Amino acid sequence: MKTLIVIPAYNEEKSIVRVVDDIINNYPQYDYVIVNDGSKDNTAKICKEHGYNYVNLPVNLGLAGAFQTGLKYAYLEGYDYAIQFDADGQHRPEYIADILDEMQKGYDIVIGSRFVNEKKPFSARMIGSFLISFALRITTGKKIKDPTSGMRMFDKKLLKLFANNINFGPEPDTLSYLIKCGAKVSEVQVTMDERTEGQSYLTLTKSISYMMRMCISILMVQWFRKREKVN
Amino acid sequence: MSLVFRIILIVASLLTLVFMMRKIRHSKVQIEDTIFWVLFSILLLVISIFPGLADFATRLVGVYSTVNFVFLLTIFILLIKLFLMTVKLSQVECKMRELAQKVAIDNNIKDKKEEDKE
Repeated sequence: MKTLIVIPAYNEEKSIVRVVDDIINNYPQYDYVIVNDGSKDNTAKICKEHGYNYVNLPVNLGLAGAFQTGLKYAYLEGYDYAIQFDADGQHRPEYIADILDEMQKGYDIVIGSRFVNEKKPFSARMIGSFLISFALRITTGKKIKDPTSGMRMFDKKLLKLFANNINFGPEPDTLSYLIKCGAKVSEVQVTMDERTEGQSYLTLTKSISYMMRMCISILMVQWFRKREKVN
Repeated sequence: MSLVFRIILIVASLLTLVFMMRKIRHSKVQIEDTIFWVLFSILLLVISIFPGLADFATRLVGVYSTVNFVFLLTIFILLIKLFLMTVKLSQVECKMRELAQKVAIDNNIKDKKEEDKE
């Protein structure tokens, strides 16, 4: 089973070496690809100097575009599974094995979730997570405890969809759509680290507009999308 | 407002909503770009069903007639949207230019390398 780790990177010169070296040295069983999303810093240069496997986008496409590039690569190279992985060191590769195990049980999407066994803390940061969980619950009937987790693995038939269609961003609204299409989703408990370098691109205003967008998309727009047959 | 006119308004705003949803359904447009239009068409629908809301807002702001207020608001919202679309179009053009330049220069470099080999 060929598994690809897709690492979208935008201005991650401080953390990319640590993250990628960890994967190369300790988890050689997985392939990886870095998608440099038109970074303004030295991310591309560092990738080249270290001899990493990377795709260099000449312009910034945003997370959705960078992620799609990675999945297109996975699809064209014939991978069976692809997992989205942050370049800032929040995700730990040790959990990929657990996620793969869960995939073997016949799921199409497995989320590396912070809140399977642990309770979701009721903090300002988590209000968005609660709301999106609730929106997913009422539109799909499925309980997704950590919908905003960026650590998601997709199987082969979804890779094809993600690679070739519009409106397949790596966001909870796509999850809602895919569940309605019949995709089977599961979650695996993982621990995530706080990012140590750089700053999260999610400022308060951006978080609120992200949340609004997700809720409107999940509650209203996704209903009208033509469904692909997943299973 | 006459009953006929109200019905026309409601039907028109419903049709607007249906028209937009059809485009979304057939994946003609990115979802993030439709959020504005979904909200806008819902606003139209709400105002056509409850014109009292527009009257209330008009009195609140102190505009002479409701029609003026609705026109003013609509034109203003569309003006802002138009400006934002101009910004976006500019960005798209910049990116396109960058891509074309990148491809052209890369090809030039590649050709030269091949010539050197020969």
